[in-house]
Amino acid sequence: MSRKLGAMALALGILVGAMGLKTLVTTRSNSAVVMANGVSPVPPIKNLPPAN
Amino acid sequence: MPSGIALVIWILGMSAGVCFVALSVLRAWFLKYFFLNLYVILSMSADLLRLYVLKYYGLESPQYEYAYYYTDCLLTVALFVAVISLASRVFGELNLTRYVRFVAVLLLLGTVGFSYAVVAQSTERLATRFALELSQNLYFVGLVLTYLLWGAVLKLKETRTRLVQMVLSLGLYFSAYAGCYALVNLAPKYEVVQYLAPILGCFLPISWSLTIMRHSEDSRLIPARLVAVPR
Repeated sequence: MSRKLGAMALALGILVGAMGLKTLVTTRSNSAVVMANGVSPVPPIKNLPPAN
Repeated sequence: MPSGIALVIWILGMSAGVCFVALSVLRAWFLKYFFLNLYVILSMSADLLRLYVLKYYGLESPQYEYAYYYTDCLLTVALFVAVISLASRVFGELNLTRYVRFVAVLLLLGTVGFSYAVVAQSTERLATRFALELSQNLYFVGLVLTYLLWGAVLKLKETRTRLVQMVLSLGLYFSAYAGCYALVNLAPKYEVVQYLAPILGCFLPISWSLTIMRHSEDSRLIPARLVAVPR
């Protein structure tokens, strides 16, 4: 039981840390998206819908 | 068709991917690290699909953008699974594999929920924005997870060279992408920035191929030496 609770706390900690890091990295964001896998050229994002 | 530099990067990345999978099969390593191979195969398939769409519709077409970012979301999930498979190997000797999977499921569900919460207010084309948001969020989760995994490798004194180098490669890859992301946000007008992401895409198959070529399954090293500063 305590191990499961520990695992849940760890998952929550990782999630909070990751989202915090993302916020830190994108502080001066211009909505660019380059979180991309693969070797193909990255397209411009003018056709994608805005976040809000 | 992509420009000359982009085409060279594309060919290099595809060759590295083919090399990695071929080496895995030849050295009977394919099933042992199945999820790493699966990621590379999916990555090559996605790049072939992207090239096909790019050829017929062009770089600035909405078709290419949607093909690119939807396949990217799929690849990020595959990369997350690959990181979890390495974590299962590292913690396997402590019989913690079950808990690693539990944490992975929680993380995936948590990231999906968080991404949905962020895009829920968007009224149009929710699926596309959701795919983008999930891809980015999962990337940062993978980054944190890889650093924790590296900490565990050091703490548990993991000595399997291949495993250590796989984790290190992933750490470098995630860190480089985070840096690339920050760079694009800070300096979007420089043309060189647009080639950084595809160049980084070559990194994982090349580093993994070198690991297979240079080290056998029995190779051992002391990871503590990697961080110790000689005096």
